Amino acid sequence: MTNPVVKAASYCLFHAPDMVLTHGTTLTMERAKNPDSPLFEQVQKGLRPFEGVVAYPPNQVYIGNIDPDELAQIPQPWYENLAEPKRQGKLGEIFPMDEFIAMMKIVDAFELVLIEDNFAKAVIERLQSHPLFTDEDFAILAKTQAIDEINGLLDKKTAVPLEFEGKVVGCVKRAHEYDVNLSADIMFENLAAKAGGVLSLRHLLWNNDIDPATVDYIIETSEEAAGDMNQRGGGNFAKSIGEKCGCINATGSDTRSFCAGPAHSVINATGLVKSGIYKNVVVVAGGATAKLGMNSRDHVKKEVPVLEDCMGGFALLIGADDGVNPIIRTDAIGRHRVGTGSSPQAVTTALVTDPLQAAGLSITDVDKFSVEMQNPEITVPAGAGDVPLANYKMIAALGVKQGSLERTEINSFVEEHGLKGWAPTQGHIPSGVPFVGFAREGLLNGTLKRVMIVGKGSLFLARLTNLFDGVSFIMEPNSGKGSSTTVTAEKMVTVGVTLLGSEHGVEEVVRGAELAQRKHRNIKVVAIGPKGSTSLPVVEANTEEEQRSAMENLLRTGEIDACVTMHYNFPLGVTTIGRVMAPATGREMLIASTTGMSAGNRTEAMHKNAILGVAVAKGLGIEDPEVGILNVDGALTTERSLRDLEKEGYAINWAASGRADGQAVMRGNDALTGACDVLVTDSLTGNILVKMLSALNTGGSIESVGYGYGPGVGEGYKQIVNIVSRASGAPVIAGAVEFAADMANAKLPELVEAELTKAKLIKAEAADGVQKPPAKPVDQEITGIDVLEIEDATEALWKENIYAEAGMGCTGPVVMVAPEDLEVAMAKLKELGFLGE
Amino acid sequence: MDLENQTRIKELVEKVGKENVVVILGGAEAEASGLAAETVTTGDPTFAGPLTGVQLELPVYHILELKDIVPEDVWEDQISMMEMVLDVDDIIKEVTTYRTQNGG
Repeated sequence: MTNPVVKAASYCLFHAPDMVLTHGTTLTMERAKNPDSPLFEQVQKGLRPFEGVVAYPPNQVYIGNIDPDELAQIPQPWYENLAEPKRQGKLGEIFPMDEFIAMMKIVDAFELVLIEDNFAKAVIERLQSHPLFTDEDFAILAKTQAIDEINGLLDKKTAVPLEFEGKVVGCVKRAHEYDVNLSADIMFENLAAKAGGVLSLRHLLWNNDIDPATVDYIIETSEEAAGDMNQRGGGNFAKSIGEKCGCINATGSDTRSFCAGPAHSVINATGLVKSGIYKNVVVVAGGATAKLGMNSRDHVKKEVPVLEDCMGGFALLIGADDGVNPIIRTDAIGRHRVGTGSSPQAVTTALVTDPLQAAGLSITDVDKFSVEMQNPEITVPAGAGDVPLANYKMIAALGVKQGSLERTEINSFVEEHGLKGWAPTQGHIPSGVPFVGFAREGLLNGTLKRVMIVGKGSLFLARLTNLFDGVSFIMEPNSGKGSSTTVTAEKMVTVGVTLLGSEHGVEEVVRGAELAQRKHRNIKVVAIGPKGSTSLPVVEANTEEEQRSAMENLLRTGEIDACVTMHYNFPLGVTTIGRVMAPATGREMLIASTTGMSAGNRTEAMHKNAILGVAVAKGLGIEDPEVGILNVDGALTTERSLRDLEKEGYAINWAASGRADGQAVMRGNDALTGACDVLVTDSLTGNILVKMLSALNTGGSIESVGYGYGPGVGEGYKQIVNIVSRASGAPVIAGAVEFAADMANAKLPELVEAELTKAKLIKAEAADGVQKPPAKPVDQEITGIDVLEIEDATEALWKENIYAEAGMGCTGPVVMVAPEDLEVAMAKLKELGFLGE
Repeated sequence: MDLENQTRIKELVEKVGKENVVVILGGAEAEASGLAAETVTTGDPTFAGPLTGVQLELPVYHILELKDIVPEDVWEDQISMMEMVLDVDDIIKEVTTYRTQNGG
């Protein structure tokens, strides 16, 4: 059986000051009892601006920018000792109110959330480059309502307001006239929990390069109840969240146990993974509007800002052992049993010392305990004390009772094994799990050896039992021995895009790269180019030269799986297979080939292009592609040689021309109708075809349709580099990113190798026994060699022990060598007559 | 103090008479224990619950004050650990203040 590991963790906060007043129960109860209460104004005054929320040290800890140990060093009150205000963190992000409202609209599947036009426009514009929002989201946000209509619903009391900066910008309608479980208030609360869950899960997937399609199961673990009057709490938040995150292969369900819910959910997830039922299980929760401003009465009384102004959310990925990530031990789970009793020491024994004893450990063997991690700055003014501190003291006191600690060591134990609380008082959010992300990191880098996560819940709140509840689990480093699955299998594909070189400027390429990122949540787009040009991750390169070597490095190290670039010299034998949309029918067609050369001889090249085109088609999922040959010089010879190949057992599915003869030779008309899947041609003609078909609607200067000139393919070529032209517009660049990602997923080099082998095109080693010198990076071009002699020229250099590659430059064939070899190579080539003087 | 608990105490006093009711607190913190003691003596100081303005003047103790009358094994099982954790002196001082204010 596999060990369950923690593969990723994300933590998000959602600033919601207006909702403190409209949906926090402290304020809504007050409004019901005393509508003229001074409390509303006091709370309003005590609310912080977004900047203050972002700079608040505990919030910076929540999203991973400040380590919990550092927090203990920052003097309190933390609201007066602010940190650097970074809304993005290593582990999460803090979202402002308007973006959260936008997400409530995006996740609404029943037209219950209405927003007005100006608000929508502003937020759509701001979110354009946000990696967690997609074009699909913007299309939903663009469906707006007139403010009069919204006010009308509010007047009739059939909706509750969505306010931003004190102004009504929308509303949430009731989902049923009489059913209280579908009232506007309940729908508001549930849609807020769903929106927080979606943002947290999207962040988890994006920040950790996880392909959403690899998630098998989702456990949602907030504290809300979704269901109508006949099945209050029927669920299923989990699937509704997965749907909005692209988790097309996941099912899921909701798990509840008040504040202990998340810890229960993680244990359930480990069980599902350990048993092999599912490989990747997500535990996710959004926040609770009800708890906003819960202690605000005490806060304003004690002149503390209203610190409960954010909802919390988190998402964790528990997966099968990858030999790297920290494991969750399944042989030492702590649990509060029905018969345990509710005295603090019975609870602490059941949750902490019993499981440690089962594992043969004592409390001092655990580096850090994560208990209820409530921020003490929120709870102390409300008379609830410092919750984590009290918990640590209990663990230490139990240690004293059991003889593993001296009484005088209580304080030092607390300091060493405890943490300062930083989590918002959102019930399920503080319960143990906020530390899982830091624990994962510490166990990965060796600063931590063992961590215990403890979740506790108060079940009396449901008035069904007075029993207490809680569970705990232990995290430890991965021994690296138990890896049963490959890590890369569920990695999201990363595609690089080089920014420099376009005739339409860096902006157009950035638009294309960002468009691709928005359209494809299962692709991670990385820009290679000047810093500051995009919100996408950037690998800096300030010249085309630097770009090329950065791209080659990233491909070599595997940091990117594929790259989209322009003006790139492939070695001879490598050619690109373009992909266009036939203008007459919208049918997609591959053009084999469009740049580079598969062979020096024209008909040999076209013959090879057909096979390479078939390999790329298979990579796109076209199992038996129809092949046609463009009626250019050499078409009939190529057809003959392919028919000969058929006789040797290589099956070809010939296309039929739309013209009266129905032959496999395609005419210009067939290029317009897309009469075949793979159109075989020489690469110069193919190049012209792609340009014409891509720029058909723009008057020619910008290519606006299709997927570009395609990936370079050829024998022994292992990289996936997709070519676009200097005239390619944003849509074509976005298409090229998608094409490149598809090729990476399909493992194109393997497909090419297999296809070439079947077609008996894999060459034997150089016949005269010339040994290639060891490969090294080559970036110097030698031009002026005749195309028919290019391979001989390369081999001639090999004989001189100079490493060289034959390539196809923009203006013709080139031999490429390393800078230090350039001079000697030129001289040699001149001497041998390959180059003129 | 929790509004439900205020209701329960009020109803109990109405039913059996205040001379038959003693309140034993288990709060983990001095201020909260003091508020609870105040609620059952001079009335709810937060003006939120049914004991607002109701002076029950009930005798009120924190469990930590009653070690002498709790059987040793029960104390050991239920309270001894928390005795180490809590600020016993502060809690007792706070609760005593309200008790003595009311002559209890």
